[in-house]
Amino acid sequence: MTRWGMVISLQKCVGCYSCVISCKQEHYLPPDVFWNRILISETGKYPTVTKQMYPILCSHCKEPACVKVCPSGATTKREDGIVGIDYDKCVGCRYCVIACPYQQRTYYADGKKEYFPGQGFTELEMIGKKLYPLQPGTVVKCNFCVERIADGIQRGLKPGVNREATPACVIACPAKARYFGDLNDPQSEVCQLIKEKRAFQLHPEFGTEPSVFYIA
Amino acid sequence: MKPYEWMVKYTPQTEWIEQRGIFVWLAEFSGGLGGGLYLVSLYFNSLWGMLISWLVIVVLKGGCHLAYLGKPLRFWRMVLKPQTSWLSRGLLLVILFIIFGAFQLVSSYWLPGTAWELVFKVLAGITAFGTAIYAGFVMNYINGIPFWNSALLPVLFIIYGILDGFGIVIAIALGGSNIDIAVAEIGSRIFLIISAMILAIYLWSATYMGPAGKHSVIKLIRGNMAPVLWIGVVFCGIVIPIGVSAISHFAGEASASVLVGGIICGMIGALSLKYCFLKGGIYGPLIPSGIY
Repeated sequence: MTRWGMVISLQKCVGCYSCVISCKQEHYLPPDVFWNRILISETGKYPTVTKQMYPILCSHCKEPACVKVCPSGATTKREDGIVGIDYDKCVGCRYCVIACPYQQRTYYADGKKEYFPGQGFTELEMIGKKLYPLQPGTVVKCNFCVERIADGIQRGLKPGVNREATPACVIACPAKARYFGDLNDPQSEVCQLIKEKRAFQLHPEFGTEPSVFYIA
Repeated sequence: MKPYEWMVKYTPQTEWIEQRGIFVWLAEFSGGLGGGLYLVSLYFNSLWGMLISWLVIVVLKGGCHLAYLGKPLRFWRMVLKPQTSWLSRGLLLVILFIIFGAFQLVSSYWLPGTAWELVFKVLAGITAFGTAIYAGFVMNYINGIPFWNSALLPVLFIIYGILDGFGIVIAIALGGSNIDIAVAEIGSRIFLIISAMILAIYLWSATYMGPAGKHSVIKLIRGNMAPVLWIGVVFCGIVIPIGVSAISHFAGEASASVLVGGIICGMIGALSLKYCFLKGGIYGPLIPSGIY
C-alpha cells in the first residue's frame, strides 16, 4: 500500500519561502493561515554562527496524534497515509491543534479577514473562496495537495515524478530541496534518499512516526 | 512572540486560554467544581448540593464548552470517538451525568428512599467523578506539552474538585441546611492539605519532564505567571483557607463571614490553578537554537 512521504534537504534549502508562498497560492489560504513554514535555527556565537532553515509542514504521521484525539472523526488517516480533515465534521474544539507536537494545524477563525484590511477581498481571494472554500470555525492544515495527487493518478501520472501530480511546495522549490514519493516503495527516490543520506525525522521521541524526513 | 521565534523558542499553547480559550478555562473549572460538589453532596446527602452541582455542569460547563466551539451546532458529533479521544469520553460522561443526575434529583425529591434513588445516585456519582477528572486526562494525553504529560494531573484535578465541593457544601450548611458543618470542615481540611502536597509534588516533578517542563515551572514560579500562582493559587487557595481552618479548629467555630471568605478564596485558588496550568502549557522548540 502506498504511503506518501516527503524528504527535504536542509543542505539545499536556501530559505526563499517559495514553498510557503506556493502553498498559499495553491490553496488560496487566507491571512494568518500557513500550511508550510520555515523555521530558522541559529546556533553558536559571533563569528561562528550557524544558520539553518527548516521547512516544516504537516508530517502526515503514521501514528498521528491528531487522529486519535479528534472527538468527531473529522481528522482521519487515509490508506495512502495522508492525514485529512473533513471540514463538514469538524466542530472546532481545537484538541488536534493542541495535540499536534509539531504545531502544524491552524484554527481558521475569521472568514472575513482580508489581505488588505478595509479594501475588501481581492479578486484572487474571491476566486479562492469559491474554488477552495475553507469553513471558518474549523481546523485546517496541509493535505499534501491531495487534489493534485488524485487528479494526477487518474490521468496516469506519477506523484513525485510528474509535476502536475506533485505537491505545489515540491515543484516550486527552486533549489530542488524537496522530494515526494512513496515511502513503501524501496525503489522510489524518497526511500533511496532516506537510506543513502541517512535522513532523519523531526523529534521521533513523540512517537508519531512522521512521513517527512530531513537530510542534513 | 515574534513569527521567527515561533517553535524556535519555547512556545506557549494559546488555543485553550487566549481569547475564546477563556471558555475552556471556565469549563474546566466548573467541571471540577460540579463533579466534586456532587460527590461531596452525595456523602452528606444534600439535595441542594446535588442540584447546584447539576446546574453548574449543565449551565456553566455546558454553556462554556458550546461558546468555545467553532461549530457549536455540531457538538453532538463529539461523542463519536470514545475509543481514542478523551474529549469524546468526557462529553459522554458529562451527558450521562446530566441524565442520571436529573433522574436522581427527581427520584430523591419525589421517591426518596427507593431503589431507583439509590441506583441513580450511584450512576450519577460515577459519572460525576468522571466529569471532574476527565479534563486531566484530556491534557495529560498531550505529549507535546511536557508540563501536562503527567499521571498526577487527573489526580490533582479531582482533588481540587472535591476540595471546591467541600467549600460549597460548607456554604450550603451556613445557609441553614442540615449538613454537619464540623464534618464538612474536617473534610475540607484534609483535602486542602492533600491538594497542597500534590501540587507541590507536581511542580517539583514537572522540572524533571525535560527542558520544556522545567521552563513551564520556572515561568509559573518566577516568570510572568508568578503573581497568579503565588497570590491566586498559594495565598488565596491554600494559605487563607488553612488560616480559616486553623481559626475554626483551635479557636472554636469561625464566624460565617470568615468561613465564606475562606470559601471564596478557595474558589479563587481553584480558578487560578486551572489558569496557571493552561497558561503554563509550553511546547519545546522544534529545532536546535541558541536563542531560547
